[in-house]
Amino acid sequence: MIPMLFGIIVLVFLMLNVIGGDQALVLLGQEGTPEQLEALRRELLLDQPLTVQFAAYIGKLAQGDLGYSLFQSQSVLEAVGGRLGATLELAIVALLIAILIGVPLGILAAVRHGRASDIFAMLFAQLGISMPVFWMGILLMFLFAVTLDWLPAIGRGEPLLVAIVDLFRGNPSVLLDSLSHLALPAITLGVGAAAIISRLVRSAMLDTLSLDFVRTAHAKGLGPARVTLAHVLRNALLPVVSMIGLRFGALLGGAVLTEGIFGWPGLGQLSVAAINQRDIPLIQGVVLTFALMFALVNLIVDLAYAAIDPRIRYD
Amino acid sequence: MKRLLRNPSLAIGGTIVLTIVVLAVLAPWVTAYQLEDMDMRNRFSLPSAEHWLGTDNFGRDLWTRLLYGARISIGVAVVSVGLAAIIGTLVGLAAGYFGGLFDLIVMRIVDVFLGFPPLIMALTVVAALGPGVTNLMIALTAVFWTEYARVVRAITLSQREIDYVAAAQAVGASWARILVVHILPNCLGPITVLATLGIGTAIVAESGLSFLGIGVEPPTPTWGWTLSYGMRFLRADPWMSTVAGLCIMLTVLGFNLFGDGLRDLLDPRRITSGRRGRRGAIAE
Amino acid sequence: MLHILYCGAAIAALSVGFAAAPTMAQNGDGAVTIGADVDAGTLDPRVMRDTTAYRVANLLYDGLVELSPTLEATPGLAESWENPEPTVWVFTLRDGATFHDGTPVTAADVVYTFETILDPELASRWRTLFTPISEIVAADDNTVRITLSEPYAPLLSYLDIGIVPANLVEGGTDIGTQPVGSGPFMLASWERGSTITLEPNPNWWAGEPSVAGIDFIVVPDNTARAQAFEAGDLDLIQSPLSPADIQRLADESDIVADIMGGLGVTYLNFNTQDPLLSDPQMRRALAMLVDQETIVEAIYEGVDVVASSVLLPSWPAYSPDIQQPTFDPDGAVAILEQLGWSDSDGDGTLDMDGVPLTLTLSTHSEDPNRIQAVEYIQNVMRGAGIDAQVSISDWPSFSGSVQNSQHQVALLGWLNLVDPDRLLYGQLHSGGALNWGGYANPTLDGALDRGRTTLDPEGRAAAYQEAAEIIADEVPYYIISYQGYQVFHTPEIEGYEPNPRGMMRSLMDN
Repeated sequence: MIPMLFGIIVLVFLMLNVIGGDQALVLLGQEGTPEQLEALRRELLLDQPLTVQFAAYIGKLAQGDLGYSLFQSQSVLEAVGGRLGATLELAIVALLIAILIGVPLGILAAVRHGRASDIFAMLFAQLGISMPVFWMGILLMFLFAVTLDWLPAIGRGEPLLVAIVDLFRGNPSVLLDSLSHLALPAITLGVGAAAIISRLVRSAMLDTLSLDFVRTAHAKGLGPARVTLAHVLRNALLPVVSMIGLRFGALLGGAVLTEGIFGWPGLGQLSVAAINQRDIPLIQGVVLTFALMFALVNLIVDLAYAAIDPRIRYD
Repeated sequence: MKRLLRNPSLAIGGTIVLTIVVLAVLAPWVTAYQLEDMDMRNRFSLPSAEHWLGTDNFGRDLWTRLLYGARISIGVAVVSVGLAAIIGTLVGLAAGYFGGLFDLIVMRIVDVFLGFPPLIMALTVVAALGPGVTNLMIALTAVFWTEYARVVRAITLSQREIDYVAAAQAVGASWARILVVHILPNCLGPITVLATLGIGTAIVAESGLSFLGIGVEPPTPTWGWTLSYGMRFLRADPWMSTVAGLCIMLTVLGFNLFGDGLRDLLDPRRITSGRRGRRGAIAE
Repeated sequence: MLHILYCGAAIAALSVGFAAAPTMAQNGDGAVTIGADVDAGTLDPRVMRDTTAYRVANLLYDGLVELSPTLEATPGLAESWENPEPTVWVFTLRDGATFHDGTPVTAADVVYTFETILDPELASRWRTLFTPISEIVAADDNTVRITLSEPYAPLLSYLDIGIVPANLVEGGTDIGTQPVGSGPFMLASWERGSTITLEPNPNWWAGEPSVAGIDFIVVPDNTARAQAFEAGDLDLIQSPLSPADIQRLADESDIVADIMGGLGVTYLNFNTQDPLLSDPQMRRALAMLVDQETIVEAIYEGVDVVASSVLLPSWPAYSPDIQQPTFDPDGAVAILEQLGWSDSDGDGTLDMDGVPLTLTLSTHSEDPNRIQAVEYIQNVMRGAGIDAQVSISDWPSFSGSVQNSQHQVALLGWLNLVDPDRLLYGQLHSGGALNWGGYANPTLDGALDRGRTTLDPEGRAAAYQEAAEIIADEVPYYIISYQGYQVFHTPEIEGYEPNPRGMMRSLMDN
């Protein structure tokens, strides 16, 4: 993991070196005079060669200092930490929605292979994959928030964890408010992943259904329902679990667009702002956080894989 | 032909893709309008005999814009996915075959790219290089190449263990010959399938970048731009974004169906399931 | 369109289950919620950068003066001021003004605020507005004396910038994130990237605001923000908005709409150092290819106004008689022909000595309206035989190239133009720090110097009219439109008086 993170730091530095415009320019805006720009660049080390900037950054990082974001008037750690929860919450709930829609749909399609419900399920999957997420977001908002007025259009309620604590204190309205705010962005983000999951479950189930051990189970006299659930699903979940690991990055990427539309205060919005402001320490911080999350999710996926697949043991 | 009929995905997907590509190639002959003919008194008109799909925010013929847009949007997707496939294949072959330190380094680099959320990678690349067709293609290539590197490396690793490769090595075949003659052919199927599916992803990705304002510069008529512009007028004139969005969806659908069909055709057993499938990452 | 706009707390309280509780119930406290396009970067008024910060800081801090909607300076922290000689201003602070932490506002705080703004170390973008100040001292606790290096007429218009508590800032409090001002509102909480919550200041010198609070909610996408307003999640939205939404919202009967002239311009910046553009005739010809009417009517849907010169209608110096070139494609082609450009090889593009007439129009990618305007201008120019190209990059890259004078023709804007000096001196004076097009004209310099140093309003107006004539004639700047300002709110908000700068103080007594 360390080499990956180091590689990312280097990559970001290299890319930002060729970037047009710099932080000083954005900080001072149109009103900044050339003298001010020069002074600010000196202060930010932007006039130094790349190697010096890099050494300064790494030196601080070695002491656990991710740097300071002038644009957010916060340390990078604070800025990222303040947004991380929102993005994780959105991504996890979106993933849950994706699994809750995708897995049953995939099973249905596989069990009813070739019939109308299969075709409808796969058509849904295709639409989910091919619809640009920002378009879907705006349309969902129009339908559910503006026309039907069922859900709030924007913003975030209390963090889900806080809301759940409140629920146990006998105050369910906080949780309802949080969930109602989460609904539209999480669905927007989750539908694409649901589509992919349903396709995977379907094809994996079809594969497994034709394998020997299923026939054996049938021969042992197990009914069709038990066969489906106990044996087939367990095998069919393997590619889903691995997909979640690989797709998690894409999910976070989708969050960049979704968060902007629904005013969700997460890392996605922050990363767009950081790039648009050439806020190098913040870009580094956000990308590193994303990479860490990605690595962590894949670690969990590997463990989950071992738990589901009896053939794999990590001794 | 019979195989084709038993494979409706391939047939339907192929037909959609072929139709759109042919229309795009023949664009100048299937529309009476020039790409840039503006008519500010006739903005957002609905479909009519003169304008089959209506007009856009500058009163330009949408049918024409979308036809020429297909050239850009599909072109960008095909080139970037193609480049990604070539780079990824070369890297994957080399890493898988030579192994050792080289493999280790290459796979660490792949990890670095994988750890970067794709959209943020594309944003950063476009911010660094500036907008434009070429830079957009570079950005998408940077996002996509790792997928191919991983698949090809996995296949190479498994093929290297197989007897006939060992036999070829024993009779003194050069590494280049082994890679090209024995290993590469085994990769072509999965790569083709991945690439076909990747084109759909690339088309959607282009629209996302356009929505953030950093795709190909106007007046180049990409579908992503037409959709994003159209969304500004969603409430008063929903037609423009709807038709552009449907156009994107239909094309992606075509490529995905085609890719699914190809997969059935080339590898009836599939490589999605099992541990190797995970590393193979052929997941969608 | 069937939708219930803004249910109010009573209905919301009745709504059950998963249905969203609209605005007021959502906060449960009757606060007014305002949509913002970006989160504030910092709430330190000395270094604030974005419109959200201007609007929030205006509620948190008091300036020496307050600007009325018609841009006149009215008493703020200073209850009175005098101008004993042209280069000396003396401000008397009011008694009883305190910062949110309870400490009184003194002359020392005022001095500290401006001294730090002028200190290059702080990297304040407002510094250029105050550089004519040569000395600022506290004569006593309630008296501030400003000495100028030369008479500086626009000074008062800029003195609404917020005064910060010197001791607190010196003591290390970061007022960028924990703002402490003396204004009518205090920061209650700030969820970064999402919500800035303000509560009334019970100790404000003019009395506690009666509104329960003001929340700024960040929704970056213009279309999404307008929809959130319609869905009842926001009580008030304002520029920047998508023109298509503006027309539609203005037609809704249950929405209060105010559409007025703003304090900004959208303009073309010609790089006069570029060999192709150094000839004023050439710039005139290009300006004559800008179809202002269509841009304003079709792209800005009539919410902006066709500009006639660099003088804004809301300035006293405005004169309708000064007219920059208007749309005239035939005239433009005639001028180009005089200059030697003709289509000699019949390829549809004008050329001279075998070189085609190529030109790059640039703008930034964040504003879809500007992109459309550039796209349209390009189309007209191509029709006139100019091989016009478009370059659109994000703001840092774009402004980097313009500020380094690497552009040819750039479309961009200026905001907050409370005084003509703010649009013209730095931008078009030959020594101006913001003169990216490298324009130099001694007569214009003279007029701008006079405008800056003349205190008599009529003399000033005359100076700026002379300047505007020169600019209309030589076209270093071509003003496409005067930007409009739009604000929409629910009928439940009463007594709100729109302010072209987007300031929200009149929400105080809602």
